[in-house]
Amino acid sequence: MRPSRTSYPLSWRLMDAVEAVAAAVWPRSFSAAVPWLMLMPAVVLVGLLVLGLWDMADGSFRTLDTATFLPSDDYSLANYDRAFTEKLFFTVASRSLIGSLIVTVITLVFAFPYSYVMVRTRSAALRKFLLIALFLPFFIGQVVRAYGWLIILGSQGMVNEALGLVGVAPIRLLYNYPAVLFGLVQYMLPFAVLMLAPALTAIPEEMESAAGSLGANWVRTFIHVVLPLAKPGFIGAGLVVMTLSLTDFAIPAILGGGSQDFIANAIYDQFFRTSDQGMGATLALLLVAVGSIMVGVVFALFGAGTLAMGRSK
Amino acid sequence: MVFDGVHAVRDATFDLEKGRFLTILGPSGSGKTTLLRMIAGFGRPTSGEVFINGLAVGSVPPHKRSIGMVFQKLALFPHMTAAENVAFPLRMRRFDARTIPDRVHRYLDLVKLGKLGDRRIHELSGGQQQRVAIARALVFEPDLLLLDEPLAALDRKLREEMQLEFRRIQRELDVTTINVTHDQREALVVSDEIIVMDHGRIQQKARPEATYRQPKNAFVANFIGVTNFIDGVVASVDGDLIAFERPGLAGRTGNGFRPAAGVSARGALRAEQIRIGGGRETLGDVDTVFGGTVTDAIFEGERVVYEVAVPDLGGTTLRVFDHDPVTHSQHDVGSTVALGWNVKDVLVFGD
Repeated sequence: MRPSRTSYPLSWRLMDAVEAVAAAVWPRSFSAAVPWLMLMPAVVLVGLLVLGLWDMADGSFRTLDTATFLPSDDYSLANYDRAFTEKLFFTVASRSLIGSLIVTVITLVFAFPYSYVMVRTRSAALRKFLLIALFLPFFIGQVVRAYGWLIILGSQGMVNEALGLVGVAPIRLLYNYPAVLFGLVQYMLPFAVLMLAPALTAIPEEMESAAGSLGANWVRTFIHVVLPLAKPGFIGAGLVVMTLSLTDFAIPAILGGGSQDFIANAIYDQFFRTSDQGMGATLALLLVAVGSIMVGVVFALFGAGTLAMGRSK
Repeated sequence: MVFDGVHAVRDATFDLEKGRFLTILGPSGSGKTTLLRMIAGFGRPTSGEVFINGLAVGSVPPHKRSIGMVFQKLALFPHMTAAENVAFPLRMRRFDARTIPDRVHRYLDLVKLGKLGDRRIHELSGGQQQRVAIARALVFEPDLLLLDEPLAALDRKLREEMQLEFRRIQRELDVTTINVTHDQREALVVSDEIIVMDHGRIQQKARPEATYRQPKNAFVANFIGVTNFIDGVVASVDGDLIAFERPGLAGRTGNGFRPAAGVSARGALRAEQIRIGGGRETLGDVDTVFGGTVTDAIFEGERVVYEVAVPDLGGTTLRVFDHDPVTHSQHDVGSTVALGWNVKDVLVFGD
């Protein structure tokens, strides 16, 4: 019996047609290959990245011939020797590493109360405000924001003008290490909040009530219940903040004014100022290595946190 | 307490003797959980006061009240073992560290989990998790135990087992307990006393038998048990006896209801108090008999539930529980039957 027109609407017929076409083009027996097919673009992208790294690895073993300004044909470890012995590179590396650690700690300390209030507040308006305040900086971009800080913190900037009103001589607020760290913390805060919030959402409010009824005041509830349960979020947020600030370019360049270079700035100088591609490649590979080791150490010590994905137990 | 201008709990004055097991029973949204949270200290009443052992505790924060609470979703700490969960209140309440392991052991034994203390929470079954939650709420010997529907998520068999466990543990420790549930069977099984709540108000507070046999109003009669309501107009009142204008229909006043003739009223009649048979001679000793037609018969195993349309009651459909222990006979849909009950079992309410 043919289905009647009323019980079988047009939209269903259209879907049937689409399904028939799909079945003709891609028979059901192929369906096992679909997930792999959808994975292809990602595989290609990562593959290209690996190819590029391979090319850089090749370059890192060639020294710059100062006579012709071309990479040498023969391989040597001279670039790596320079990277580990020259004081400039050591200064830059330790500045970035220590900086990224300080930024990570400060950012997590600031991000926690923000995301906690955002997740737990009963006021929908406050939650919306906190979310918008969080996303707004994403629309502005790193460079523009750094220039914004120049306007605020410069020697003729708003802060110094305000200080001048109360009779304080202008203070040099820019082009130093704290200025770079300040800019990085401000830049990283939204990332950390966004990584922490899901971990806090996953902690049932009843847990905190339970801790209360069992005799824990809010400090002890925080230490014994919230903090341990939020650990995956802290690890995920910490890893993201640490790797992003370790490899950041714009903020050290703009707020450091050339005096506070991070590794990325040193790499840029090698590639585009001194045109020593071999040295640039060496530094880039070392940065990849250091970043991977730091992530590896965190994984080994604390587990992968929210970055672990997969099924939880 | 008021949420967004709506009174979640409006009038809830009651008292509870030490060592008693009280159940607050009501449909969802009746305010029972709000009431429990106010007792625990998680929300302050807009007006009124909570007294424990004669002391007003309104301004005492939850962690300084001596109240053990088993939460709806248990709220066990997943990053701790069962024993660490039970030890948590002892550590927070600064019990002597040397006595803690011993005490934790005693309470794990009490809930029959003696050997499972080292398990993590996710390694325990639903019933075992319930037991950890009970041990954790009782281990510091609170003045009061609060149960916020912790059994709601369990399957029926486990739920009935845990109800008896709650009862056993409560009797063993003699701890004053307030239980919140929407499960009328649980309320009847476990409690010394039942408070029925609706719309933020206490409808009745009584022992389980009294709540079932002498409901104070139509809401209570309807909420507990399966109750038929027969609407009618009062013809005459003689003492406790109220006769309706429908010939043959009468009942007993419920909750002191004394209507004048001509007032509309409703009789409440439990499904199990109606007898059903092929003819009136099969009904035995009953003083009210009506004829009807079976419109539905549901076999439930230990009983058959009939829906019977009664033309002489204005076509009202009555629900009847029946089980024939000898012949296991059943009335078919469409067959004509006689229904019988006694006037004393019809409770007449005004609402």
